[in-house]
Amino acid sequence: MKIRAKFTKQEYIKYISHLDLMRVFQRAFRRANIPVKYSEGFNPHPQFSLATALALGVSSDGEYMDVELDTYIEPEEFKQRLNIVLPNGIKILKAVFSDDKDSIVSLIRWATYIIGFSTKEKVTPEEITSEIDSFLSREELILTKEKKKGKKVTVKQHNVRERIKELFLLSNENDTIILKTTLMTGSQGNLKPEEVVELLKEYTEIKIEEDSLKLHRLELFVEKDGAASLPI
Amino acid sequence: MLDKGQFEKILNRVEKPARYIGKEQNISLKDITEDTVRFAFAFPDVYEVGMSHLGMHILYNLLNSKDDIYCERVFAPWTDMEEEMRKNNILLYALESKDFIKDFDFMGFTLQYEMSYTNIINMIDLAGISIMSKDRKNDDPFIIAGGPCAYNPEPLVGIVDFFVIGEGEEVTLEIIEIYKKWRKSGGERKEYLEAIASIEGVYVPELYNVDYNEDGTIKAFYPMDAKHPTKIKKRIIKNLDEAFFPDKIIVPFIETVHDRVMLEIFRGCTRGCRFCQAGIIYRPVRERSMDTLLESARKLIEATGHEEISLSSLSTSDYSQILELVNKLIEEYKDKKVGLSLPSLRLDSFPLEVIEEIQKVRKTGLTFAPEAGTQRLRDVINKGITEKDLFKSTEEAFGSGWSTVKLYFMIGLPTETFDDVMGIKDLAYRVKDIFFKMPREQRKGNLKVTVSTSCFVPKPFTPFQWYPQDSIEMFNKKINLLKSSIKDNKVTYNHHDSRLSYLEAVLARGDRRLSDVLIKAWKKGCKFDSWGDKFSFEKWLEAFEETGIDPDFYASRERSYDEILPWDFIDVGVSKKYLINENEKAKKGELTKDCRKGCTGCGINKSFTGGVC
Repeated sequence: MKIRAKFTKQEYIKYISHLDLMRVFQRAFRRANIPVKYSEGFNPHPQFSLATALALGVSSDGEYMDVELDTYIEPEEFKQRLNIVLPNGIKILKAVFSDDKDSIVSLIRWATYIIGFSTKEKVTPEEITSEIDSFLSREELILTKEKKKGKKVTVKQHNVRERIKELFLLSNENDTIILKTTLMTGSQGNLKPEEVVELLKEYTEIKIEEDSLKLHRLELFVEKDGAASLPI
Repeated sequence: MLDKGQFEKILNRVEKPARYIGKEQNISLKDITEDTVRFAFAFPDVYEVGMSHLGMHILYNLLNSKDDIYCERVFAPWTDMEEEMRKNNILLYALESKDFIKDFDFMGFTLQYEMSYTNIINMIDLAGISIMSKDRKNDDPFIIAGGPCAYNPEPLVGIVDFFVIGEGEEVTLEIIEIYKKWRKSGGERKEYLEAIASIEGVYVPELYNVDYNEDGTIKAFYPMDAKHPTKIKKRIIKNLDEAFFPDKIIVPFIETVHDRVMLEIFRGCTRGCRFCQAGIIYRPVRERSMDTLLESARKLIEATGHEEISLSSLSTSDYSQILELVNKLIEEYKDKKVGLSLPSLRLDSFPLEVIEEIQKVRKTGLTFAPEAGTQRLRDVINKGITEKDLFKSTEEAFGSGWSTVKLYFMIGLPTETFDDVMGIKDLAYRVKDIFFKMPREQRKGNLKVTVSTSCFVPKPFTPFQWYPQDSIEMFNKKINLLKSSIKDNKVTYNHHDSRLSYLEAVLARGDRRLSDVLIKAWKKGCKFDSWGDKFSFEKWLEAFEETGIDPDFYASRERSYDEILPWDFIDVGVSKKYLINENEKAKKGELTKDCRKGCTGCGINKSFTGGVC
């Protein structure tokens, strides 16, 4: 029996890591008396998984998890019982039974984000739009990544243009610029919003005020028959 | 209150921002009215360390159980956060309300280890409060301190306004009661301090004077006004079973040192190890009943969802119904996958079957604390464990599938010789031999013996309080001897920094002249001294030099029995005569029995009643 649930990670809770979030849930399951299935062996672990990790400081309205149950419980009850005991900022929005053999982790293909910031110099919406248009019209957007293996540092460069599905100006008010973007997410190719910000700094003239940057995940998508759809 | 926008910008730049956000499960959130007394429980170390401290959870919940008291938490910000706070003019704030500590009524520190003292000064300063008591104004909070190190409060005199000696549950409420009246009266700061000086367990240093002899020892210690007590008697909770114990505790978001439900099964210890300060100051032994504990466990697991319960005390296996308690806890939590951990376990008196049963949920390594390498020295310190005990326990443990063993020792104990030091190595090697003497098919896992030595620090209120500590050179000689003789890939040797232990010895037995050194060291940048990479011995030495204070006077000097010690004015209930007698017996290697087996005459049952002596 598997429950698939959608939840939020907002407010100050965005400052806890993926691993810490796992622990928050493990303890919440126990407080809420959710009959989670445990692994066998010396260190029994509850059988549940979170779809994807968020970087510290990124908030979200669209997180997902799969939870294996030991005994039957209504998804609605699962949701209600957990919401009573979860800390502020984490809220189960939806829960359903799932007969998906694949884990939620392996299914996710796309994610939409809001990228908010102010700029060092004043810019008009037209200027932003034209910068983004020329950014997206490039055939190559090269992301440089440093990988540390022990003391060895290797630099890898990837063309990540294909991993950006959309990127556009959502609003430009009170000196705050808000972009919306859809990025490839998951094992078959992944691009993080903070990496998009890196690329914007490199390839455009938009002078992002580093301190003002706010990242927020809106939603995750799976791919079914070539089309993106919601996980539940 | 903090500016939220600015605060978030900073959180994005610091390591482990969750240390600073609060908002955890089970925190207390209260409306603040004119009548609210605001108490900041301050732990002078990082969040992960402070949140692992049971005393904080007890006092936090106790104070918050009163409608007109609001207790919040504050920890030492890590250096990156401090830098940001200073750069952006952010004052130290409390985690719950994010209000500034400066606006609180009390800032209460717990003194768990001497090397956190510079953090205390730093936190007071970060809060925007004067670091000297004499400079504080009427609307500044009172800086108070309690905890084990408050049994010698003198090094912090001048910085802390007043101290609470002993267990804080009752006395803290009494202090706040008088505070409410004083606040209404609109009186002077001094009037409040005068008023609480008569509460048992409260020490207000500015009401006391010290005269010194020419050689720097104390000539006299006395209250300036005869109406104040000449002796400060520690506070204890008479009936622990009826004492407050929280039914919920805060659940941290990030991993802390002890991230679990801590059940305090009893206070005190009857063993009488001669180096152990806790064994003396926490007397008499008082237990919580098994029913109370099981009920507490139930409520706490329900409220926290923690995956582990640990039984907390100085010597877990000495709890009178330990086997029944452990069995009941295992039975109750097996299905919920809640593990049980038993720190401070004396393996000489605990059946291995039970440990095995415990470890069915989560298996960890085994820890033994023989403390000294030879039987002669173990008798000197009255440890009461024999080699046989250790070998029997390890043999059984290896037979049941364990392969990781930790062994804890001290070096520099009174009368120690190089033979005793080498005894540590011999003991570790014997443990290794026991493993490999077992038939190959019975051995499980890969043997790992970890030997750790700490440097002995003579502490106030122990039979060794008169004893000179080994010099740093001597400690290093002993450490190097062990380092060069333990050459086996199955045996790992760890040791503590002898320079840190030296400073600990200075502060542990220091007098009020040391507060100048503390301030000087802090001004030079000393903080987080017990965090290896932040520790600067050189700065400390400079601080001593510039204040003209000789640290050896405190660490390396033998005191005579008739010298007035800086902490002599505190009455812990155990008589000085008993401590002298124990020290003399130590010199002869004579044992003192566990006082559960008959009174050994320490005096505690004359001073305090209610305990199982």
